[in-house]
Amino acid sequence: MDLLPPIATIFLGLIMGYLGQRARMCFVGGMRDYYLVKDTYLLKGLFTFIVCALAGFILFQFVSPAIKTFPWFLDGSAVFAKKWAAMGVTASPSSLLPVPGDPITWSPKAWAHIILAILGGFGLGFFSCMAGGCPFRQHIMAAEGSKSAIVYLVGFALGAIIFHRFVAPLIKAILA
Amino acid sequence: MRMTAAIAGGIFGLLGAAGQAFFHVIPPPAYGICIACHMRDMVNWIVAHIYPIYGLKAGGAMIIPGGPVSYNFPLLTIIGILIGAVIAASVNKEFKWKVMRVWWQKPWAEFFLGILVMISALTFGGCPVRTALKAVYLDITAIIGLIMIGVGVFVGCQVLRKLT
Repeated sequence: MDLLPPIATIFLGLIMGYLGQRARMCFVGGMRDYYLVKDTYLLKGLFTFIVCALAGFILFQFVSPAIKTFPWFLDGSAVFAKKWAAMGVTASPSSLLPVPGDPITWSPKAWAHIILAILGGFGLGFFSCMAGGCPFRQHIMAAEGSKSAIVYLVGFALGAIIFHRFVAPLIKAILA
Repeated sequence: MRMTAAIAGGIFGLLGAAGQAFFHVIPPPAYGICIACHMRDMVNWIVAHIYPIYGLKAGGAMIIPGGPVSYNFPLLTIIGILIGAVIAASVNKEFKWKVMRVWWQKPWAEFFLGILVMISALTFGGCPVRTALKAVYLDITAIIGLIMIGVGVFVGCQVLRKLT
């Protein structure tokens, strides 16, 4: 049993929690501040996140075998081809297929993944904006003592169960 | 040194890449930092071990919905973030019980917003942080998702302007 990921992520989380509280880090809040008051303090965080993560992936792929699929739209199709061979699906992988994680992960229909990305992305932006911050910011606010954010976290955990119990089978039935 | 969002964002980006490269947070790829997915993994793992019927498939095998990396033991990012933020808030004396002032951010409404945010996040597999990480991993669908988050926030801002 490999316990390195849980132990490593708890320390990653500690660093993220401390820095996030000091910097008031929030991606959705960054976009919202830019639209509403033209303030770019938080939006700079999103841009440096993108630049540093890109630099990290480009540099680390030379030292770590875990990033061998790095430019996903080029190398990801090999992952799909291997999985489909095991599942008995015959299709040629499109470069639009996403990183595994959505409810119809191994489906060969690229348009279905794009519909999910559009619906989910829009809902995520809209509801996070109404709730007053992205999920990460809500965790920080809960730790700062905001009762609204603590109740939000309860709903957040319950949402995962509702999703896997009711919404994911529905999506699979419609799109897969 | 004063911690600004720009510096914190850069550190998060490097941590997200390093989590996958050196700490085995894979599969799936681009999973180094995600709030919604790691929360989902933890909740599903706990619920499936308390009520085994939740994780059972027809054949009797235990299937825990979530990232394969969390199958044996879930990722604990959420616990780390909460502990780290509590330490930061109490060291700098910013801890205070409070409630949001506007009516749609009162606790009862935030409960339903939390459910809706989680459902939309899992619909395409990631909170805003992981969406950015996936977009950087050059996944074209995630780039569309990141643009749609911007559109969603724009529409949300128009509604906020009407409400306030």
